[in-house]
Amino acid sequence: MIYLDNAATTAPLQEALQRALPYAEEVYYNPSARYHGGVVAARLIAEARRYLTQTVADAALFDAVFTSCGTEADNQAVFSAGRRGNVVATAGEHAAVWAACNELKNRGTEVRFAPLRADGSVDEAALLSLVDERTALVSVVHVNNETGAINPVAALARRVKEKNPRAVFHSDGVQAYGKIPVRLTRDIDLYSVSAHKIGGLKGTGALFRRKGYTALQPYLFGGGQENGLRSGTENVFGIACFYYAAQSRSARINEDAARAEACRERLWSLLDPVRFVRLSPRTGTPYILTVSAPGKRGEVLQRRLWDAGVAVGTGSACSSKKPHSRVIEACGYEKEVLDGVLRVSFSPSTTEEEVVAAAARLNEAAAAE
Amino acid sequence: MEQVNIIQQVIIIRYAEIHLKGKNRGYFERVFSVNLEKALKGLRHELRRTSGRYLVTGFADADVEEIEERISRVFGVHSYSFGYLVANDLGSIYSAVCLVAPHNGTFKVETHRADKTYPLTSMQLNAEIGARLLEERPLLRVDVHAPQAYVYLDIRENGVALVFGTFLQGAGGMPVGTSGKGVLLISGGIDSPVAGYMMAKRGMTVEYLHFHSYPYTNEQARDKVADLARILSRYAGSDTLYTVSVTHIQEEIHKKCAAELNVTLLRRFMFRIAERFARQRDGRCLITGESLGQVASQTIEGITSSNAVVTLPVLRPLIGFDKEEIIVRAKKIGTFDTSVLPYEDCCTVFLPEFPAIKPKLSFIEEEEKKLDIEGLVAEAMTSLEAVRI
Repeated sequence: MIYLDNAATTAPLQEALQRALPYAEEVYYNPSARYHGGVVAARLIAEARRYLTQTVADAALFDAVFTSCGTEADNQAVFSAGRRGNVVATAGEHAAVWAACNELKNRGTEVRFAPLRADGSVDEAALLSLVDERTALVSVVHVNNETGAINPVAALARRVKEKNPRAVFHSDGVQAYGKIPVRLTRDIDLYSVSAHKIGGLKGTGALFRRKGYTALQPYLFGGGQENGLRSGTENVFGIACFYYAAQSRSARINEDAARAEACRERLWSLLDPVRFVRLSPRTGTPYILTVSAPGKRGEVLQRRLWDAGVAVGTGSACSSKKPHSRVIEACGYEKEVLDGVLRVSFSPSTTEEEVVAAAARLNEAAAAE
Repeated sequence: MEQVNIIQQVIIIRYAEIHLKGKNRGYFERVFSVNLEKALKGLRHELRRTSGRYLVTGFADADVEEIEERISRVFGVHSYSFGYLVANDLGSIYSAVCLVAPHNGTFKVETHRADKTYPLTSMQLNAEIGARLLEERPLLRVDVHAPQAYVYLDIRENGVALVFGTFLQGAGGMPVGTSGKGVLLISGGIDSPVAGYMMAKRGMTVEYLHFHSYPYTNEQARDKVADLARILSRYAGSDTLYTVSVTHIQEEIHKKCAAELNVTLLRRFMFRIAERFARQRDGRCLITGESLGQVASQTIEGITSSNAVVTLPVLRPLIGFDKEEIIVRAKKIGTFDTSVLPYEDCCTVFLPEFPAIKPKLSFIEEEEKKLDIEGLVAEAMTSLEAVRI
């Protein structure tokens, strides 16, 4: 199987699994235990926290709360910060932020979604016009998970704070972290990441938090782990995998990105220009190429491709109730294009041979239907 | 009496129409008891038949809810009651009565004596037990005409008595397996599982056959049908879902035939395939969830066109039901919530904008000549897969 759905999830890194294994087999102690075994587990978590934090920010200014996934991190950010005034987000948010914002709406908070440009990035002027003195939270996805467009979160955060210094700025960094360089500037308060997108395991995420931001609320109560912000016995093995995967990916983040970009452009150059249109911007993440075969059905193409040995993502479903991707729709495309969306996403281990073979299968599948 | 202190929890199961079956009665009873055993499999119990009913004993108190749930799904059960099996002396009987009788409201004691040598007559027992209850439970009153609760006493021949309260309604119908076998054309919709349920209720063994159009339909849709079949199998028994791909057939129809006949022609293929499948498996009929006029293909013309390609009878137990009536049943059976999950089934992928509502048979047959019918049916049969559910 040529696996090109790495934005959905990616294979766990063997080296990370191997290094983490002792924390499943030997150091299985509860990190809250006061004897030595527990202390060893707790130290690993502290070390992972420090390391992960310093990959994105000055560890003196930020810390991290480990969560069970990116969705949990997003929810904790949105529900903690969005309890008064209004909330501004973008039409390109991942469902974890989008649905959490809609729930805020149900609970009586005003929520404003900024429109997107055709490539999936947020219309900056429109976003800023939605921010006012009553805005409590602004949430902007860093890398749009459906088109790969990168939002300039540092610049946006700066301009948001100029307009309303009290507004909290959150960004969902699940598709950015470990893939493109991330630096949390003074204007960013909260940043969500996930382990399984970079070779860690499902079941581990984190929310980076500016240390001065004290309004973060717990949503699970119990033993007071994670400074009381996320009770529940820590997922030591998952955190260890996350830590070691992040180490591997961070060490070669620029080389990997360059290779991924070569894959992305090579694939695009091999696709039949009559059958495919490109939705992903060249300035987007190198790891995602979203295309559409107008008039075809992405989900049917996806299954044909699986049967031909290529796994890709899609932006549509054959369900008659919710046929199109909300995010691609927000980019302003017509139905023909929306029907045929495919998302091809790469990993550092994607090879050129795979890309060439996948391109041929994609062209065949689009010709068949 | 030796057994004074023995008091045993019991479920009394009464069956419905089996006793009407004359010389076949023994056969019906055997199937019924096999079905009951199957339903109770895995739960500690003893099942025995005594004069026109079944008794379940020896079960754990913790299993009672599950046993009731399972018995309530067995066709052929007319009613059932929870009660006690006790020694037939008055003291034992009364101690069981105390467990089933209400504490307030109106009641009536009804006695049946199989043991005609019992020292008290039925009337005397009613009076005696009733009087004791009234004395101990001051909030109770007797109402012999329309009581809120009954206390039943059944004095058996072998020195024991059954004491029980409410009659709970069973699933009714006939034991599954006593009315032959039918093949249910099951889609992911609301209707077909209900149709299967209705035929199983009349004692039919139901085999599930599902048509898919992979890759136009997805595997989740198939899993959904398997989920529906699994729910249905709690009543109907069969443990396998059979699937057949009609993808190529749909493509051929789409390519070569008049668009408004897409569904009509596809249904004729489905019927042909289902009949062939039925004959391989000793099925005596096809079962569909059609309801007259519900959609374009379920008009009398549509039904005529489908029936024309098969010789086995096609049973349509929902033909006279409104959608709301079907939904009420689907909810009761437990298939509704699964049926309404949004996955596309076979028919909607190639759905024409304006399907023919009253297709003429001559036109249909003319259009069908453009297709290699036998080749396509044979090809589809090779895609037959069995899924354990």
